[in-house]
Amino acid sequence: MKMDFGYMIKILPGFISVLPLTLVVILCSGLFGFLLSVLVTGIRIKRVKIFSPLMELYISFTRSTPILLQMLLVYYGLPVVLSLIGININNWSGTLFAIATLVLHNGAFLSEILRPAYLAVDEGQKEAADSLGFTSFQKLTRIVFPQVLPVALPGLGNALIYLIQDTSILFIIGVVDIMGTANNLISNDFGSRQIDVFLTVALIYWAISYMADKFIKYFERKTARYHLENGLTR
Amino acid sequence: MLALKNIHKSFNDHEILKGIDLKINKGDVVTIIGPSGTGKTTLLRCVNYLEKPDEGEIAFSDFQLNYQSVKRKDILRLRRRTAMVFQQYNLFKNKTAIENVMEAQIVVQKKSKKAAYEKSLEELNRVGLADKLDAYPSQLSGGQQQRVSIARALAMEPEIILFDEPTSALDPELVGEVLNVIDQIARSGVTILLVTHEMSFAQNISTKIVFMDQGKIVEEGPPSQIFNHSREKRTKEFLSHFNSNYTKITTAK
Ligand SMILES: Nc1ncnc2c1ncn2[C@@H]1O[C@H](COP(=O)(O)OP(=O)(O)OP(=O)(O)O)[C@@H](O)[C@H]1O
Ligand SMILES: [Mg+2]
Repeated sequence: MKMDFGYMIKILPGFISVLPLTLVVILCSGLFGFLLSVLVTGIRIKRVKIFSPLMELYISFTRSTPILLQMLLVYYGLPVVLSLIGININNWSGTLFAIATLVLHNGAFLSEILRPAYLAVDEGQKEAADSLGFTSFQKLTRIVFPQVLPVALPGLGNALIYLIQDTSILFIIGVVDIMGTANNLISNDFGSRQIDVFLTVALIYWAISYMADKFIKYFERKTARYHLENGLTR
Repeated sequence: MLALKNIHKSFNDHEILKGIDLKINKGDVVTIIGPSGTGKTTLLRCVNYLEKPDEGEIAFSDFQLNYQSVKRKDILRLRRRTAMVFQQYNLFKNKTAIENVMEAQIVVQKKSKKAAYEKSLEELNRVGLADKLDAYPSQLSGGQQQRVSIARALAMEPEIILFDEPTSALDPELVGEVLNVIDQIARSGVTILLVTHEMSFAQNISTKIVFMDQGKIVEEGPPSQIFNHSREKRTKEFLSHFNSNYTKITTAK
């Protein structure tokens, strides 16, 4: 069997047409996962009773189990759990379960990036803001966040790249995204053109990750000024 | 102008402040001295509500706050009338000297950028740093950072400035420049509550000295009384111990 570029070009439009779905999954999971992680980080830092140990448990579980397993647990388990409190999600599509999985996964993982970055801003500066009469919100947005960002950014960037790669397992619960499309193509051809198909998929993932990487680097450059002044330049 | 009444504070069942009463008048320079671990820092932090007292009251001429029933709004109000100068300066590291001084004026006092800039320029001038406006904290010496932090406090025009050992993190050769600045603002009528181990400085600038030991005020009075005619045995003991240390420091300078 040899590579067939003509075939690869022929199947490309099929992938392009599902690209928006993959991008929506990445964007939603990234955004809501980030928001969840901010909440989780807040609970851990404030040591909120009961919730804080629960968050540690949730993070430990997420870090210690394969994401594929997490997805299957969400897919089969979430409807059962939610039905206990009277919420019916049986009509959810695979995509929604996929997003739910990735949001939960990132909520835990990003918190492991945000928490140390928050702690890297010394307590003294936070007290200085307090003593000057800043509200908690002003302290967070004006003093803490601008200093957390450059510290957290490389880690968040990596997490985004991982998130992109992680979407490659969603076809298992029936999401017809890039991998799902590849899978369909292969079964239609009885597996005769696997290499061409997978190579095309690889190139698409590469392209998405490459652009994500550029986007992150651009952001890192924009916040580089804080690195310099923090004496954190590497 | 400012009165502290019966301030109590414990950490883990260990009582650190055992009922502090203190009156400070406008323009006073009140210096707290006393052995290490006696609760001086804790008292200052209570005034600013960085530490929550278990009991007690703070009263300004037109505003009073009981620590047992404080609302968030009261805390902000209290903090906006007081300013704190920390031992470790605690400048905002991502901001230049002038931005450090401007920040709270813009965020807390809602001043325009221009007004905040002008006020900051004035205060940085006052502490002798007009040539370091655009330097980041990491580019400044300890003494310069502390002077920026003093300018930051002054710019808020607080009713009182709290200094917690403002020179004890500094290299000996930088202590003088910071003491000079504090001396000069003390003379300009700013009300000050200071904690320091610089005894001759305290004697020089204070209108009142407060000697604290083991969470209580042992004796208070004008510097001449405390340093020369102290009535309390413990005060004398503390000062005698200190004087011998102090000569060493002066010869080192
Ligand atoms: N956050 C805290 N938690 C527990 N104990 C504390 C805390 N802050 C202070 N303490 C204790 O309270 C006591 C008084 O501390 P404080 O810092 O007020 O003393 P100080 O008079 O300022 O001493 P120094 O001259 O060394 O600065 C010390 O025994 C200290 O260990
Ligand atoms: Mg102290």
